[in-house]
This record gives sequence, structure tokens and C-alpha cells, in this order.
Amino acid sequence: MQTVAPALAPSTAASGPAKRRRPLGTASWYVTALFISSVMVVPLLWMITIGLKSRTAVFEVPPRLLPREFNWSNFIEGPQAINFGRLLLNSSVITALSVLGGVLTAMMAGYALARLRFPGRKVWFYLFVGSMLLPGVVGLIPLFQLYKSIGWYDTWLPLIVPAFFGGNPLFIFLARQYFLAIPYSIDEAAKIDGAGHFRIFTQVMLPLTRPAWITMAILAFQASWNDFLNPLVYLYSADKWPLSVGMASFISPFAGQTPDWSYYMATNLLYMLPPLILFFAAQRYFIQGLGSLGSTTQK
Amino acid sequence: MARVTGGAPVADGARVRGRRPATASGLSRNAGSDVRAAYLFIAPAIIGFTVFVAYPLIRSFALALTRDNGLTDPVFVGLGNFRRLFTVDPAFWPSLRATGYLVVLYVPLSLALGLALAMFCNQRFAGVRVVRTLAYLPVVLPAVATITLWKFILNPQVGLLNTILDKLHLPTSSWLASPTMAMPSIVIVMLWGVGGTMIIFLAALQAVPTELYEAARVDGAGPWSTFSRITLPMISPIMLLQVILQTTAALQTFNQPKILTNGGPGFSTNVLMLSIYNNGFSNLGRVPQLGYASAQVWVLFVIIIAVIALTAKFSSLWTYSDNTPD
Repeated sequence: MQTVAPALAPSTAASGPAKRRRPLGTASWYVTALFISSVMVVPLLWMITIGLKSRTAVFEVPPRLLPREFNWSNFIEGPQAINFGRLLLNSSVITALSVLGGVLTAMMAGYALARLRFPGRKVWFYLFVGSMLLPGVVGLIPLFQLYKSIGWYDTWLPLIVPAFFGGNPLFIFLARQYFLAIPYSIDEAAKIDGAGHFRIFTQVMLPLTRPAWITMAILAFQASWNDFLNPLVYLYSADKWPLSVGMASFISPFAGQTPDWSYYMATNLLYMLPPLILFFAAQRYFIQGLGSLGSTTQK
Repeated sequence: MARVTGGAPVADGARVRGRRPATASGLSRNAGSDVRAAYLFIAPAIIGFTVFVAYPLIRSFALALTRDNGLTDPVFVGLGNFRRLFTVDPAFWPSLRATGYLVVLYVPLSLALGLALAMFCNQRFAGVRVVRTLAYLPVVLPAVATITLWKFILNPQVGLLNTILDKLHLPTSSWLASPTMAMPSIVIVMLWGVGGTMIIFLAALQAVPTELYEAARVDGAGPWSTFSRITLPMISPIMLLQVILQTTAALQTFNQPKILTNGGPGFSTNVLMLSIYNNGFSNLGRVPQLGYASAQVWVLFVIIIAVIALTAKFSSLWTYSDNTPD
């Protein structure tokens, strides 16, 4: 903590002469920027360094910060050690399906809430919004029992099926906000042309709301790819685990011996790659998604 | 779905009366087909709400009043679980204390650092976008990946942090292995993801009208009074939301203590969520205590509701709003 706090302090204190947009001097701004960037990047570089070390060199004292050896084979043998291919496949299937279900059903609900008139519209909206504040842990134990009683324990169904039932109320809220902003004359025009709600939704609304559902898809991807608690609770067999649980078990003390950190870090890098690639490919939507969280709250 | 398409041409386009399109009253008044379509569109969410939100909420409370090991029939014990929690269980108060300590340490630091970073990134320098992207990077990475990485960074002998501190001739620490430093270490790991808070504050800062800053400059306001009289009041609604969201999230912290310390050393990082998990789902060979864990869930739930209610109640003391009709 001490490492972060002092360097950032000047930016709040905004010392120096009151240049409006540059309360910090250029030099001190860049020094601080360098420091912040290092705090964020050095741990990741170090992870790569460890990933390239031989399995014994990891425990050198004092440890070297830059790699002197390049054991590229760690990137093959590490993943093999925890059956990475299998875990990756599991994670991919679980994530793909829960993204699809979560986005689709939230868009549908948002469409109904924003653009159709039906009794109970307000009530359902408030119930969905209210459930955003409900801590997830409240459902954990009853749902565990429910899934167990219907034979879903140790299957992927608890991780996927809820998504197909409007799993994330936040998405319903975002979808509704986005649908509200589209002029109603578009629906009218489509209706005059004889389009039903299904066609209006799929052929008119989905193309118009592209930024909204891409943002949701990214948030849903992150939530599912990163989820640790749910698979930990609902999955027992190691061959059904997603990467999150598999990676955590890689270093857990239950494995019986000290973890192979160089194998682990090499594999960890591979685990990080899909979200990293997605982030750099769709950075705009990440920022936009969080921005929309900020702005919607002002309503 | 197909039924909707079939029924929809009834959307007898013909006479669209002169409605104002852009208002809520501009919603289609094709009552019959609309209601049916609406319920078809919203049905998955309604079923989901009933099965995955409403039912577990009620069931969870019922469970909290029983003794249930998941194998034999649950036994009704009234408030027995709560009595055991508050008067008998030696692990309960330490877990409450650990949870409270984590919240008190993490939330203010996260908000202060997040705002500081946002203000830092809200200035016009070449390369500011790079800093912003890098600061946000850890948020994107899988939690398990970053937490395990930090577990090794905090390793007292061969970890990165002690190596650097040692080179700079600063005091080192045994971090996660030390009863006093374990929780601060967990908070450090959590703060690495402060970029998430930064992005939201950045959006809030960019929404502050620049005229206000112009006016302040003309009036000769210094940086501190500009910050305290303009920036803080203007972003206070977002700040309020962040206080609520971060506190409720911090109260439910699980991944970091589970992976980094598993509650140790002693009970020093045994937060409530970890205790709930261990009582309810422990695979260490003990009998699961689903009823008892549910009682703990309800204690946590009541704390969360109380925090939200109190923060919202006293928010008018420190948040600014244009049209004070609240």
C-alpha cells in the first residue's frame, strides 16, 4: 500500500502553480505515470520471467528479475500438467453458452419493458432492478440444494441455465435503458410494413442496439470466464472444471507437494490471453460499458 | 417465437393515430397482441426471477431456522443457529471482525486511489491513454489468475515485492504469513484492480461542465478549493453509488482470502464468506452445515441491507443534487 499511496497523492493535492488542465508539472506527471504503469505492468512481466525459468531457478535467493534462461518448454509441459486443453474447452463451452443466454434473454426482457405495454410492466421492472442489490450469496445454499435434488450437481447446468432466464438483472436494466432511447417512430414504421414483434426485435432492434449487446456480451464473458465461487461449489469432478477452478487447484496445498511455479506462471499467461485479446480488440466497449453503469445511475 | 410472428400481422398498421412517438405514452396501444408478445419476450426473465431469485431468498430464510446436513431430513431449530453464532461459535466474532477490517481498509483506499488515478488520467498529456489502459488492465484479467500471481509476488523469500523492497533498503515483511500483515496484503492485491473504480470516476469527472472550472479560475480559486468546492460535489452522486457498491462487494469478498490465505494465519483473514463456504460446502471431510451457513448468510445479508440503508439515509448530508426534491 505504501508503495502506491505517496506517488498518487500529488495528483489529488494538485500541488504547484494553478495551470488549469495541468496541475502537475510535466516532469512530475510523467514520473508518476511511469510509476503507475510499472505497478500495473511489472507483475505481469515478472510472471513471464517466472514462466520462462527452470523449475529450480524459481527458488533462487535472491531471485533475478529478468529471465536469463528461456525454458519455452514450460509453455507446453505446464499446461499438460493440469490438462489445460480440457479445462479450456470446458471454460469455452460454459462461457459461450452463458454469454449467449444472458445477452439474448436480457435483450428480450429489455425490449418488452421499454417498448411494449402490458399489465405489470412497472412491477417487473422494479423487481428486476431490486434484485440487482440482492447479494448473490443469499441464493447459493438453496440453489445448491435445488440443483442437487434435480440431479444438476456436478454438471455445467447450474453455470449455464440461469443465464438463459435473464440471469443478470443488470443486463435487463441496461437493455431497457438502451431501448428507451430509440425513437418509437421506427417501430411504427416497421409495423405499418407488416412486421410483427419478433421481426421488429430481430431485424430492426438488434442491429440498432449493437453497442448495447456487445457491451453486455463482454461483461457476460468476463463474469463467466472469471467466475470461481460457483464452479467451485457446483462442480466436483476435476474433468468438468473450468479454468478458474483448475488454475486455483494448480497451486492449492492439497496437491501434496509445493507447486511448480514456473509451470504455473506459463499456464497462467495462457489463461489470461483470451480476456486480454478481447480487451485490446474491443477496448471501446469495455470503457463504454462501465461508463454506462456510471451514467445510468444518475437517472 | 414463431407464434409471435404469426400473431403479429394483427398489428393492424393502418390507422396510427397522432401519437407523440418519443414519449412513454407513445407505446403501441395494440393491447391484445402486445400483451401476449410482451409476456413471451419477458417470460424467461420472469421465470428466472421466480426460480433463481425469489425462491432461494425465501428458502434461504427457512433454511436458516433449521439444522440441515444435506443428508438427513432438516430439523427445525428456530433461532438456535443464530444463538449458536452469537454466543457459542468461537469463529464467528473473529470472522465478523475480519470482514469489517477488510471493508474499513479496502473501501476508503479504493475510493481515494480510484479518484486520484481518475484525476491523474483526466489531464491532457501525451500518453495519458496508455496510462489509463494499463491501469485498467488488471481489471480485465481473470481474478484467479491475478490472485495466484500475487500469491507468488508476496512470497517472503523469493517473491517480487520483498526483492524490490530489499533492493531499495526498505523493510520487508512476511506478508500473507504474518497475522498482522495478512489482511493488508489481501487489500493490496484487491487494490491492484483499482482501475475499475478509476474508470467510473473518470466518466463522472468528464461529465463535470468545464464552465465551472473556468469560473473558479476567474475567481482565483486554488487547486484545493477547486477540488473540494467543485469536483467533489459534482461527482458526489457517483461517489455515493460507489460507496454502496464497493462496500457490499467488499462484504462478500471470497476469492482473495480463499486463494491467498484460506482464512489464516489463525482466523485473521477468515472473512464471513469464507466461513459460510467452509460451513456449507467444506470438502474437508466435515459434515456440511447448510442451515448454520444459511444463518450466517442472513447475518451478512442484514449487514448489507443496513449498510445500504444507512448510506442512502445519510447521503443527503454530503451529496449534491441540482434539483433537491429529495
